[in-house]
This record gives sequence, structure tokens and C-alpha cells, in this order.
Amino acid sequence: MKIENRLPAEGINASREHPLKEFAWLAGGAIAVVIALVAAVAYGAQWIAPRVPFAYELELTRGLELARAPSSDQGRAVQAELQALAGRLANRMDLPPGMTIRVGYRESDVVNAFATLGGQVVFFRGLLAKLDSEDAVAAVMAHELAHLKYRHPAAALGRGVAVGLMLSVVSAQLGRTMGGNVLSQVGVVTLLSFNRDQERAADEEALRVLAAEYGHVGGALDLFEAFMHVSNDRALGEQAIPQFLRTHPISAERRQSARDWGRANGKTPEQPRRALPPAIAAAVAAAPPPGAATEGGRPIADR
Amino acid sequence: MGQFLDLALFLLLLAIGYVAGHAIEQRHYASIRRRERRYRDVLAFPMRFAPDSVTAQQAFLVHGTVVVSADYFKTFVAGLRNLFGGRFRSYETLLERARREAVLRLKQDARARGARLVVCVRFETTTIASGWAPAIEVLAYGTALVPLGADARALAPIAGHETAASRSISRPV
Repeated sequence: MKIENRLPAEGINASREHPLKEFAWLAGGAIAVVIALVAAVAYGAQWIAPRVPFAYELELTRGLELARAPSSDQGRAVQAELQALAGRLANRMDLPPGMTIRVGYRESDVVNAFATLGGQVVFFRGLLAKLDSEDAVAAVMAHELAHLKYRHPAAALGRGVAVGLMLSVVSAQLGRTMGGNVLSQVGVVTLLSFNRDQERAADEEALRVLAAEYGHVGGALDLFEAFMHVSNDRALGEQAIPQFLRTHPISAERRQSARDWGRANGKTPEQPRRALPPAIAAAVAAAPPPGAATEGGRPIADR
Repeated sequence: MGQFLDLALFLLLLAIGYVAGHAIEQRHYASIRRRERRYRDVLAFPMRFAPDSVTAQQAFLVHGTVVVSADYFKTFVAGLRNLFGGRFRSYETLLERARREAVLRLKQDARARGARLVVCVRFETTTIASGWAPAIEVLAYGTALVPLGADARALAPIAGHETAASRSISRPV
């Protein structure tokens, strides 16, 4: 018998494949799986949450009192006018049973307004200062009420809780590989794309309500026009963020959609606007000059 | 911001793991292949008994042991592999290197003590650290035989690699 030791064979017991190739396949697959899971869970929670009766939402958010009255007499007068406007617009909307709208007002220069859990809408003086007709204020109000009508705050909460829970589970599973961070980043981007759909839905409902109340959609055009000026001032840094990562469609696009909608439904914008209600006009006139808005906040946030 | 820092740190660790781990692996393989040629005169076999043609004068235990660690990149890829299943390619090279290195050290031990033949070679593997950078120990041990005459040349008749015929069927490196 002849015995010998040959040199070990190469490429049999260990793969000669480039390690980055395997990495690319696995990482791509994992990211795709997470996107699919997050999308499924987000979609499911977003679908279920608005179907939970409003009474439960109210119960859940009892401690969340954002629509409280301002301290000054003028602030309370503005709040009353906003509340009355909300009431008129809400009558034209088919709000969920048991939903009462409460409008809050903040004497702050933040250019923002938002709708949130428990049927609450909050306006900031900074936003009112950018608007010069009741129609434009109504456009904001109708947009926020549309969010409430569609239960978007509830959907966002349900989605946030469900996805947060799921991502924490995924992160814990992958925590050992330290991949959880990356995967949760992917999740955030997926969530943002859902919000944009809700914004579009709210815009569309707002146009319908505006047309019903005022006979035209000029208020929405004025509103988006005002946002475009704000954007040009870069006061809100609106253009600095790529649209993909933003929750609100860019103002120019929204204005174009409003114009198209008005044209398609025979509501031309060339109609006189109604003047601002007296208390709002007075509050805006007494406010510090515009440009003082330094705090963050996008126009019309949904939460 | 904190999330982006986490992400940046993670990518940095991954890059370090890949670049350093890959370079070290390539260097280790080069060293292994060089020494495998250098130690070809020491024969190591898994069979329990010496070939009939060898009459041992002396027998003793020799062993080679090595501890190697995975790098961050390998561990991350392996973690992803855990999700989907399949060959742990990133660890296969690690284990192959460890086994070949252990055999080399066993042969080095044998030659240092005057033996040119090791029989009954066995392997043992132990995980000595897990978590984000697992490390393993591979131990190769066997019985070194010093043939009658105690001369390396006594092995020549059975060592096939000495002949031209065997060279031609050996895998070129």
C-alpha cells in the first residue's frame, strides 16, 4: 500500500463565493421581509383602528386635553369663532357616531394646526397670521376635520403601537446581530408613505366640504398659495426635505390637485372670499410680525 | 439623531469587520498553504494503526490546537443566515482555516520530536465564546510514530509524495 498526504483540496469545504455576494442577498432579503411585515401590520392596524367605536378612543385619551381654552379674553374669542366654524363645516360631513369636535387655540407663532385623538383640533396663531380670509381658515379646518372623520389619529395610533411592538420584537430577535437598528429605520420610512395617503384623502374631503359650504374651493387655493410663500421663505424648511420622506405632499402639488378638482366639479376659484371673523382678524393684527416662527412644525400636521 | 449615530456605528463596525476580517483571512490562507507544502514530509492519517510496513520504535501523543474568532461582518451575515437557513458560508472558511491550522501545528509538534508519521488523528471542536463574535477552538491530536531506525529516511518507501508519479496526481497549488 502506498500512502501519502496530498495538499488539502481547495473550494470543497469552504465556499469560494465572494462574501459580499452572500451579504447582499441576505441583507436585501431581510429588508424586503421587514418591509413586507411592517406594511402588513401597519395596514392591518390602520384598517382596524378606525373601526373601533369612537367612544373607546375617547375613553383612551381622556387625559389628553389639548383643546383647552387660552388664558386671554381675545384667545377665547378666537377659539369660539374657530369652534363655530368647525360646527358649520362638521354639519356638512358625515362624522362618526358620538364624535364631538373640540377646537383649541394657542397664542403661539408656530405655523401649524393639527387634529388629534378624541376629536380635538388645535390651531396656532402663527398659521392664522398667514391666512387672509375665512375661506382659507375653513380650508385648514376642513382638512383637519376630514382627518377626524376618517379616524386618522386613531389609525396612526393603532399603526404606531402595532408597528412599534412588531419592530421591537424583530429587533430583539435580531439584536444579537445588531441588525435591529437598520431594520427599524426601514420601518420608519414605510410608515411615512402611509401618512401621505391619508393627507391626500383629507385634502380631497376638505375640497368637497369647502365647495359645499362656500360654493368654490378658492380657500384651499389661497391656503396652498400661502404655504408656498412660507416654503419660499424657507421658514419651515419645507423644500429642504425630499418629498419621499415628508408626510405632506408638496404645496404646489396640492394646489394643482385642488385646482383640478375645482375644475372637474365646476367650482371655479374666481369668487370673492369672506373676510376673516372679527376676533381672528383682531388677534392676527395684534400678533408680532411674521417671520418670528422659529419653532419646527409642518403646516397642518395630522397629530 | 441617535438612531443615525447607531446606524453609522453599525455600518462602521461592519466595514471594519469586513475589511480587516477579509485581509486577515487571506493572509492566514496564504500562510496555511505555504506551511502545508513545508510540512509535507510529515504524514498524518486518521487510521487507528500504523501501516504494516512501519514498525514503530516509539509512539507518543502529539497535538495541535488553535483558537480563531469570527469578525463582526461574518457574525452579522451568519445572523441573517439564521433567518433564512442554508450554508453558513461565512463560518465555513473560519472552520476550514482552524482545522488546517490545527493539523499543521500537530505536524509541527511531530516533526519537532523526530516523528514523520502520525496515525489515529482526531479532531475536537469547542465553542469558547458566543454572542456577537463567536470564537472556536479546534484541537487535532494523534499518535506520532518514530519507526525503527529512528530515521526520517526510513519512511521514504511509503511516502508517496517522494515519487514523481504521485506528484503528478497531487493537486497543483
